[in-house]
Amino acid sequence: MSLADTEKAGQRFHGVSGRGVVITLIAPAAAGAASMSLGRSGPAAAIALFLLAIVIAAVVGGLWSGLAAAIISSFALPFLYREPRFRLQFDGTEELLTPVVFLTVALVVGILVGGAAEERARASRREREARLLRHLSSAFVSGEVPDRVLDDFVRVLLEPFGLASAEVRVELDGTQLLARAEQAGATPGGPDTVVPLVVGPVSFGTLRVERPADRRSLGPHDQLLLEALSKQAAAALDRARLDARARVAQLDAETNQLRAAMFSSVTHDFRTPLASIKAGVTSLLDRSVEHDPGQERELLTTILEETDRLNRLVGNILDLARIRAGALTPTRHEAGLDEIAEAVVARLSPSLDRVRVVLDIADDVPSVAVDEMQLDQVMTNLLENAARHSPHNGEIRLSVAPTGGQVVVRVADRGPGIAEEDRERVFEAFYRGASSPDSPGTGLGLAIANAIVKAHGGRIWIDETPDGGACLAFEIPQSDRQAQEVQA
Amino acid sequence: MTVVLVVDDEPQIRRALRTSLEAHGYDVATVGTGEEGVVAAAEQAPDLMLLDLGLPDIDGTEVIRRVRAFSDVPVIVLSVRELQTDKVAALDAGADDYVTKPFGMEELLARSRATMRRTQADESAAPVVRFETLQVDLPKRLVTLDGDQVRLTPTEYGLLEALVTNPGKLLTHQWLLRKVWGPGYGTETTYLRTYIRSLRKKLGDDAQAPALIVTEPGVGYRWIAEPTT
Repeated sequence: MSLADTEKAGQRFHGVSGRGVVITLIAPAAAGAASMSLGRSGPAAAIALFLLAIVIAAVVGGLWSGLAAAIISSFALPFLYREPRFRLQFDGTEELLTPVVFLTVALVVGILVGGAAEERARASRREREARLLRHLSSAFVSGEVPDRVLDDFVRVLLEPFGLASAEVRVELDGTQLLARAEQAGATPGGPDTVVPLVVGPVSFGTLRVERPADRRSLGPHDQLLLEALSKQAAAALDRARLDARARVAQLDAETNQLRAAMFSSVTHDFRTPLASIKAGVTSLLDRSVEHDPGQERELLTTILEETDRLNRLVGNILDLARIRAGALTPTRHEAGLDEIAEAVVARLSPSLDRVRVVLDIADDVPSVAVDEMQLDQVMTNLLENAARHSPHNGEIRLSVAPTGGQVVVRVADRGPGIAEEDRERVFEAFYRGASSPDSPGTGLGLAIANAIVKAHGGRIWIDETPDGGACLAFEIPQSDRQAQEVQA
Repeated sequence: MTVVLVVDDEPQIRRALRTSLEAHGYDVATVGTGEEGVVAAAEQAPDLMLLDLGLPDIDGTEVIRRVRAFSDVPVIVLSVRELQTDKVAALDAGADDYVTKPFGMEELLARSRATMRRTQADESAAPVVRFETLQVDLPKRLVTLDGDQVRLTPTEYGLLEALVTNPGKLLTHQWLLRKVWGPGYGTETTYLRTYIRSLRKKLGDDAQAPALIVTEPGVGYRWIAEPTT
């Protein structure tokens, strides 16, 4: 039953329905016929029967049916029972008492029945309204995109209001939004109602609802309800608009912050190696000085190291840009983190000659579905980071082991460790530990490792190191487990 | 005289390579486009081709494909790190190896020598190859280490044979799987990993400091040992 139907139920009180007319005529007639068939048993039985007819008419047809039945009965009773029979005539107060009683009964029963019906209608309408409001407000606060909110809004209105169609046109931050819903099977073209979507001084647009061709326009109560709902919708739009602005502002702030960090890093970090290279090359080209072979070699080594540093920086910044652009999509294949670890150590060993790298690989390391080159990069970054913070000839332990559905890789060094206040931030781009602000790293390696591990559904963290030093660890879910998750 | 063809659109790289290679006694030809590269590969019959992947006219992989139609010249791809997938495509198209820009000359020269050894090895077609204490007798399918026979499964031997007959060449996962397991294979990298591991173990090669087989994660494997005569 819709709100429109309950409105129809309310008509029992306000007007006379077809059913009311029928019962008004049939009930007294039946009472008359019944009393006649009882023969001359006296008017007392007839009065009782007519009273019953009036009550039935009032209950079924409402107040007006009851009153009409009372009047009919009042005339029918003397017509049937007074001598001479079948003559319409009242005399004496006693004769007049019967119609008064009849009318009073009809009035009392009709009012009681009508009041109850209206109360019922009101209650069910209130419940429906509450449900509608609840539904809409839950849709509105859940922070959905405005299009979805509006689609939901117009769709939800159709049935409760008995509409053929509902359409909302809104302008939100310069974008035109249109949501429309139509009731299947309803013939459009009935009366329409237009309600503005307003919050305070801001108007977002309008809601236009249309009743089916064969229905009347919405009652005043429904119009008020529609306005209340439209206000809610407008408030939700307002919230969505403010949220979107806040998000953009936050993103802008982050981007600006990153850009500023990148700018200062680029100017400082690029110029430093460039300065060393230029100094080295110009002294080698300088014909006025004689360099002994040892000096020459030292200058050339510096140039080489600084070129590598520049290259690393460029690579890292490109990686970071790719991560920021969301272009870091791993191409996954079944691979062994143990094999990648071995390859990384084999490749880096010549350049990591000032430290001792110890590989600690568990037996039967299960396969993981990873982008091998990206995981190679993660381990490379972690190892280079460890090497930078290691004392001369310090040990770096790289371990790979399965643990509860994950493969965990740990890189532990014997350096000064990571200060408590830095732990939260070491995985941020351009962050350098407060303890080593001038470290030769780019401040990007760990941020990149973090992004890659996350893109693989894994986790990276700083492990506890009771014996000192720093231990960076990450884990990647095992393949079979991943496959199960995908299926689920 | 060994002729090296350099195909790169950067004049600075061409100059640096020419200077260094000539200093090492190579004869150097340089061109700046892919089309010129294909023509030069045909006309000059170089002993080695150093090919930049990012050429202005045609894709480096396409250059390899065209050159492979008429020549077996060793090709080393020069590429920036950012184009990893292109490297695999270039290797699958027939390149022997790749070197990441920026590279050290020492590394490039070592790779160049290794890949040129492949074509020289083909010519001599030595039936028995020795690498220090390891000896592989190809006709007899016999492998010995320190004089003791190494028992290999047929798959392990197939893998070893594919590696030692392509010294210095970076063999992609797909190529190895098709060569050793058969044409229906190509993505079963787990098999490959397992067999490489057991092969390394039987040959006494340390993955952390390999003397025989080098792993290139995400790409393939390379046989690095130099044959001893």
